[in-house]
Amino acid sequence: MGWSGASLTVAGCGFTSIESGVETVESYVQPQDFVVPGIGIYYATTCTQCGGGCGMHGRVREGRVLKMEGNPETPNRGRLCGLGQALVQHHYNPDRLKEPLLRQGGTLQPTTWNNAMALLAEKTKNAGDKFALLTGPLSGHLKVLAQNYVESLGSRNHFIYDPLATKVNRSVSERMYGVAMPCYHIDQAQLVVSFGADFLDTWVSPVHFSSQYADFRKANDSKARGVLVQIEPKMTVTGANADRWIPVRPGTEGALALGLANALLQDPAYAKNVPASVAASVRGYDKTHVGQITGINSEVFDRLLALLRERTPSLVLSGPSAEGHVHGAQNAAAIMLLNFVLGNVGKTITAPARVPFPQMAPADGDTVALNAFNDGLMHGRFETVFMHDVNPVYTAPAFLQLKDNLKKAGFKVLFTHYRDETAEESDLVLPLDSALEDWGTHIAAYQPEGVTITLQQPLMERLYPDGTRSFGGLLLELLKQHRPEEYKQWPDYYSYLQSALTKNKSAFKDPAADDGLFWYQTLSHGVLNVAAPQEQHLSATPGIVNVNLPAASAVDQEFPFQLVPSVRSGFRDGRHANLPWMQETADTMTTIVWDSWVEIHPKTAERLGIREGDILEIASKTGSVKTQAYLFPGLDPDTVAVPLGQGHEAMGRYAKGVGVNPFKLLAPSFENATGELAYYATRVKISKTGDRVTVVKDEGWRPGVLSTQQGRKIVATMAADKVKLFREE
Amino acid sequence: MSITYMLRDWTHYRSTHPSADINKDHPEGYKWAMAIDLDACTGCNACVVACYAENNLPVVGKEKFAHGFAMHWMRIERYWNDEDIETPQHGAQFMPMLCQQCEAAPCETVCPVGATNHTPDGLNSQVYNRCIGSRYCSVNCPYKVRYFNFYNYPEQEHAWPDPLPMQLNPDLTVRTKGVMEKCTFCVQRLYEAKSKARTDGRLVKDGEVTTACAQSCPTGAITFGNLLDPYSKVAKMWRQQRMDLYKDVQDKDRDGNPENIRGYRVLEELRAYPSIIYLERVRDAQA
Repeated sequence: MGWSGASLTVAGCGFTSIESGVETVESYVQPQDFVVPGIGIYYATTCTQCGGGCGMHGRVREGRVLKMEGNPETPNRGRLCGLGQALVQHHYNPDRLKEPLLRQGGTLQPTTWNNAMALLAEKTKNAGDKFALLTGPLSGHLKVLAQNYVESLGSRNHFIYDPLATKVNRSVSERMYGVAMPCYHIDQAQLVVSFGADFLDTWVSPVHFSSQYADFRKANDSKARGVLVQIEPKMTVTGANADRWIPVRPGTEGALALGLANALLQDPAYAKNVPASVAASVRGYDKTHVGQITGINSEVFDRLLALLRERTPSLVLSGPSAEGHVHGAQNAAAIMLLNFVLGNVGKTITAPARVPFPQMAPADGDTVALNAFNDGLMHGRFETVFMHDVNPVYTAPAFLQLKDNLKKAGFKVLFTHYRDETAEESDLVLPLDSALEDWGTHIAAYQPEGVTITLQQPLMERLYPDGTRSFGGLLLELLKQHRPEEYKQWPDYYSYLQSALTKNKSAFKDPAADDGLFWYQTLSHGVLNVAAPQEQHLSATPGIVNVNLPAASAVDQEFPFQLVPSVRSGFRDGRHANLPWMQETADTMTTIVWDSWVEIHPKTAERLGIREGDILEIASKTGSVKTQAYLFPGLDPDTVAVPLGQGHEAMGRYAKGVGVNPFKLLAPSFENATGELAYYATRVKISKTGDRVTVVKDEGWRPGVLSTQQGRKIVATMAADKVKLFREE
Repeated sequence: MSITYMLRDWTHYRSTHPSADINKDHPEGYKWAMAIDLDACTGCNACVVACYAENNLPVVGKEKFAHGFAMHWMRIERYWNDEDIETPQHGAQFMPMLCQQCEAAPCETVCPVGATNHTPDGLNSQVYNRCIGSRYCSVNCPYKVRYFNFYNYPEQEHAWPDPLPMQLNPDLTVRTKGVMEKCTFCVQRLYEAKSKARTDGRLVKDGEVTTACAQSCPTGAITFGNLLDPYSKVAKMWRQQRMDLYKDVQDKDRDGNPENIRGYRVLEELRAYPSIIYLERVRDAQA
């Protein structure tokens, strides 16, 4: 065939000119002008991994999101923790749900979205109070839609559940300071005394607090290097960074705080800070008495007292290990009282700005919600149950028997990303878009700098365009089923968000006059600062504080150890156990990977003849787990700690069958004032099973020998009085 | 090959690191270096995860981790204090450990095929397609920061089941079986920044490029930059701490009074001349 043949062949394909057929050619991506193949571009969005609500930039190349970085315009100051980085692994997780599942003949079978939506309409028709919605903490427009939906059904049952809630802290703060979540200025304090608040790793807003901590530790012209004292039964990451870590008998933190308050109030300079009645009420807490209760010797007590006197302003924080007891609110109040005595209120603790949109203001969860939800199920009050952003079958303590109670609801719907434990108990499982595919607005519960609304936007096309849907979009569709007139103007969740924000743009700082430009700027910055948010004031009047410790006789000798169910920053309440990076990253304190463990003090281990790697049975009155022993000196000797987050029976290949779940051990103890589950109030006994394993950890191979530097200069330490400040050149 | 060819004097082709002149050793005008403040480091592991995300590190799973096959280019070492081992009342001690990019790297001299060597911008590089897997370099590394691919992670071990490969950073490779790998100071980022600067006819400015670990660090404990740029933050920190890249005994230590100066290099006495200085952690004895 000659040249003419070749041209004939081409002509035979139907192309007569270079332009013909162009309508059938579609580019792999249809990019914006600024997209250049091979060059990463960054889009702003919001991290949904914990309640901190950090702003993020996602690196996108050729239509794929690759890596998350911090957004410098938000309170995390351009930084991001490991868990935030791992958000991409939720997005690309191989075990994500890709299609709706419906229970048919006892097993979950694939179904269509049309079918699912029709079922939702049918089951919610005239549901009224027979309908219940259980969600995790909510804020922004998603909260508005969720509440409106529940209301549209004529139901009052919206339960907001957070297994790791700081509800006790919030309710006592509300009583003492007048606001549930005041702003803490760690960077401006000379001394931070934290009673179990792990603010560097797991507490409230760890990345923001970490950046404050960096300033706190640096000396400058106006202040010396800050000193950190941590008081807790089990060493947290914050405790590991303290200048002085003080182990305390679990639950006696309040008595120590009152002892310190009493000692300080002997001095008129401090006594003027609180009413005389308060000073009188703590008089019984002298040093000897407090020493007996807490197990803290008088030398340690005196040092702490001297520090509190010398270093002002200081900041005293109350954390979960002090609050998770039957008398947790009393402990928290006693600890917060110290801030009044020391005159810190108004200096290192200030009022946050008020969120001007009450409907969108963050709704923090608690565990009371779980109890109420469980009660309703138990008494057969709910016929149709929707669940979102929770895994109660996994996180509920065994004594609640939630798994059995859930069976009493006729129709259980779970909106989720994974086929987790709760999905296995549900009748309809609906797969959601990942956080990197969905729209959203978030208002973090902790607002350190004015009031900021952070935007969540999709960073790439849906991985499963026909399979997953946006939860906001679903709520909108469901609302249309019941209130079509009100909601028909918005075709999707995106248009709802855009119109709601654009309509209210005058509420934000320096909005562009043009709506299009305003929206463009909002998306590119990823954050909206509320203009002139309402001031709030701290009502600084401490009431009388009492700490009623449980009587010593109430301590059951059959269960000689106190259980600390410790929180790991990479796992939180267990929802991140299916992230391979989180499993493979060594736990900071123990360096263990891919498993659970029980931390036991070396002295206690020696007494009981326990070696590292021995499989121990840890039994409470309501359950037991078996896991490997790890000798850990950062522990009160009568305490054992098991980390939360592992022990999944479902949820995907990286989570399933790894480790044990200490949620199941928790005793039916509730905090008196708030009704919250008292997480740190469980007594356990431990026994050897006779089995032994090699603990898989990063710290080296000699089992049972605590790793030290063996005299080498690896991590060197300098005494603080030798460090003068260096000015920037 | 003739015997005369073999016996010729080749010494002028050899260079010794470090030589007398830091600028001659780094003709491009770059010497990448780091300073890590251990008083700011909290051991939170953000850097470790950032490194997995940036550098396509495989997750090996429990069994292989137990065999020491973990591929974390960056790790947090945790030590207890000898003195208060029963009650660690001064907390724990954390050390972010990564390749120290030594100027006289012990790993380089033992490579039989020259797969690991020094780049003009002062990195200890690893050429994957030259590596034959002798693992001598790993044996010789005093910091134990070289990681060997004992398995074919991408294909046989399914370290990235679908759709996880979509997350992989296209700016660098996924390594295969039989290859040594290690921290590169995020060379793909450096390369991009250098090319951009070269196009503009200038050197990379301080703050224009940073490593993934330094970028994520919530307390800003890690400072990265060009040591040859006297105004870079990292060069200032080295100067402030009286640390000299090319000295094996620092002047401050010779003076015998290192009070107020926290800079040091890990295992300095081995004379590997690391490019990373650490700043001592501080603890208040009064507390």
